[in-house]
Amino acid sequence: MADYTLTINGESVTVTVSPDTPLLWILRDTLGLTGTKYGCGRGLCGTCTVHRDGEAVRSCMLTADNVGDSAITTIEGISPDGSHPVQAAWIEESVAQCGYCQPGQIMQAAALLAENPDPTDEEIDAAMSGNLCRCGTYSRIRRAVHRAAEGGGS
Amino acid sequence: MTPVSRRTFLKVAGGAGTGLVLGFELPAKQRARAGSVPPPAPGYPAQDGTPTYEPNAYLEIAPDGTVTVQIFRSEMGQGVETAFLMIVADELEANWDMMVPVQARPASVYGNQVTADSRSISLSWDVLRAVSAAARTMLVEAAAQQWGVDAAECRAENHSVVHDGSGQSLGYGELADAAAALPVPGMDEVTLKDPADFKFIGQPMGQLDNPDFVTGAAQFCSDIRLDGMLYATIARCPVFGGTVASYDDSAALAVEGVRQVQQVGNYGVAVVAESTWAAIQGRAALDVTWNEGDNATFNSEDVFEELAQRAHDEIMAMDDGADANIILDAGYQIPYLAHAPMEPMCCVAHYTGETLEIWAPTQHRQDVLGRAAETSGLGHERITVHVPLLGGAFGRRLESDFAIDAVLVSMAANAPIKLFWSREDDIQHDYYHPLTYQLKYKKLDPESSSLDSRQRVDNIPTGPWRSVDNVPEALVNECFVDEVAHAAGYDLIESRRWSYGDSPRGAVMERAVELSGWNDPLPDGHARGIAVHSTFGVTHVAQVHEISVADDGTLTIHRIVCVVDCGRVVNPDMAEAQIEGGIVFALSAALGSEITIENGRAVQSNFHDYSILRFDEIPPIEITFVESEEPPQGVGEMGVPTTMPALLNAIYNLTGKRIRRIPIRAEDLRAS
Repeated sequence: MADYTLTINGESVTVTVSPDTPLLWILRDTLGLTGTKYGCGRGLCGTCTVHRDGEAVRSCMLTADNVGDSAITTIEGISPDGSHPVQAAWIEESVAQCGYCQPGQIMQAAALLAENPDPTDEEIDAAMSGNLCRCGTYSRIRRAVHRAAEGGGS
Repeated sequence: MTPVSRRTFLKVAGGAGTGLVLGFELPAKQRARAGSVPPPAPGYPAQDGTPTYEPNAYLEIAPDGTVTVQIFRSEMGQGVETAFLMIVADELEANWDMMVPVQARPASVYGNQVTADSRSISLSWDVLRAVSAAARTMLVEAAAQQWGVDAAECRAENHSVVHDGSGQSLGYGELADAAAALPVPGMDEVTLKDPADFKFIGQPMGQLDNPDFVTGAAQFCSDIRLDGMLYATIARCPVFGGTVASYDDSAALAVEGVRQVQQVGNYGVAVVAESTWAAIQGRAALDVTWNEGDNATFNSEDVFEELAQRAHDEIMAMDDGADANIILDAGYQIPYLAHAPMEPMCCVAHYTGETLEIWAPTQHRQDVLGRAAETSGLGHERITVHVPLLGGAFGRRLESDFAIDAVLVSMAANAPIKLFWSREDDIQHDYYHPLTYQLKYKKLDPESSSLDSRQRVDNIPTGPWRSVDNVPEALVNECFVDEVAHAAGYDLIESRRWSYGDSPRGAVMERAVELSGWNDPLPDGHARGIAVHSTFGVTHVAQVHEISVADDGTLTIHRIVCVVDCGRVVNPDMAEAQIEGGIVFALSAALGSEITIENGRAVQSNFHDYSILRFDEIPPIEITFVESEEPPQGVGEMGVPTTMPALLNAIYNLTGKRIRRIPIRAEDLRAS
């Protein structure tokens, strides 16, 4: 076990975990930030996506000793009240079915729009292709990303 | 206004100040269900006649006006909570913002609560409307009595009762206590709303939980945290049916945070820890020796040959031996298929010795209750089953295995337990769609009726997989219709017209022919394929796929046209999403996902080798619902069955290659 001081959603928190603990489980078990979900544990599905210094990363593949000084943002931290343009677009398009993968989808989409405010379908497909949805919400996600882009980006 | 059929209302009246509470007893015929999921075994509350939980009601109107609706089916992404509230709010003339869903406990008053066969709405439509209409009638009567006017002069509107003559109105909350004191109306006094006046039903209403889904606030089972809760994971024998011979837990117990290692039944060893990660690490360090059992020599690829022989023998025994100039002999293969919902299996259980509380993301809460009672030895009255949101289900959560895991570990550990499965556990210990070999046999010239034999093996766990037997039924029948038509020189549409005629199935086909431009010319190198099916006999779907295939075997689906007749559509947002989701689910199976068993073990383990469709593989899908005044029927599974045959038929129409096994491989398609 070791102490790590992490920056999560703008706040500095110190956690005591083993160095190989994936950030996913620090968020969920240690900090109670359960919006970030487990899907595969191997970086294959995107369900656990968070932002590291604004970039979308898989929190199941990032261990405690590798987080360093980077700023981590989770689904709980991208807006205070669910009003991020991507979140608003997700509601407008009624994207979710079971909803389980959607925090990861939203984090991936928000990172895409921060970098590319008006992506084409192909650019959306390319950026989002690591995020799986077993319910098959993909076409609504695509529509929601376009809607969020039209609403002024992220 | 439609008079409702005669039913028995139960009023479960609260005391003064608790508002109007209405329960309802299902007529016996509603409890019976035909379909793929077996009825509850003896001992379940639905059959033993002694409710172990007193349901407060179907709906409850509190003095503050809040309308609480008991949702007695599981929410797994199909939007059942939203749909229930829409139906109640409409018939009650309620304000949408005052509606609150709660997941109901397992209770006999609801009959069989299994969430399966896409029946959550079709089995509840009459019940919910009737009970809501009764509540509305009582509220109107309560207001009329207070004003000293005839109830016929009053009307319900937007959560209040209005008397136009005097301009008075009273809110539902203000009327709830007085309404609760009234006798429940006889059925001749309750009238259902004219569907032309529906405000919510038929409107796109999204999903209630959308605001929580987008902030991460929605609570799935895996998100539940109890005081003193420990985290547990179970090592299982990789060979199906294998048992624990012995284990060495010294390395596992040496992992910091691991509290206990416990054998679970004869099938597994649980590692119980202070965190998920410690449990995962402890399990990795655990050394278990297994008795692999009889399946250790089983290989799924080898079994098709044996099943083909069995099917052939069965067909030959049925055959009349008559000569024919053409004989069609077509064997179709479907592999084991995993459900792979995005939330792997999970259950929280807290056994205290006196009581047992369970949070189970189950499609079958009565089965969880019954099996938890058997497992714990506690009576049903000491067991509470909560059903949180299900992170996908698709039939997987009809099995209660993961809930019983949690009960067993909580009993052994004497602590509240979150029992979690890894993705590998989920893929490798599923109850798969059964490996199926189905042979179709038919003589032409002279033409005879077709013979059919479906063969399976039963040593690997199998269970209902989204649309269940409709998968092989639609695939085999709709491909074989095409095979016969091609061999006999019939038109693909005309030969279906002979069978489907002017039935609803025929009607969706005609609409799909029209909307897809079936008879219109296509670009060079493109072709279309069609399939039509009535899933569980109630919802009729036709699909037309337009495809092309590159020389290297790369398949492109350019367009899917899907026409659905599911009766009245309750919530178009979710109905369309379910059909589209079903198509995507089936395309995953058609194009890549399969479970193969080698030496009794599932070969695939995670999404790198059990591949499901990704963003860039999704074709344009156009879904049209037939306008209908008929009662609503299911949509959850109905996108699945026609997908695979429409695609396989398109491939034949383009390439002349009749593929009779899924998943489709690139080598099946490569130009020869």
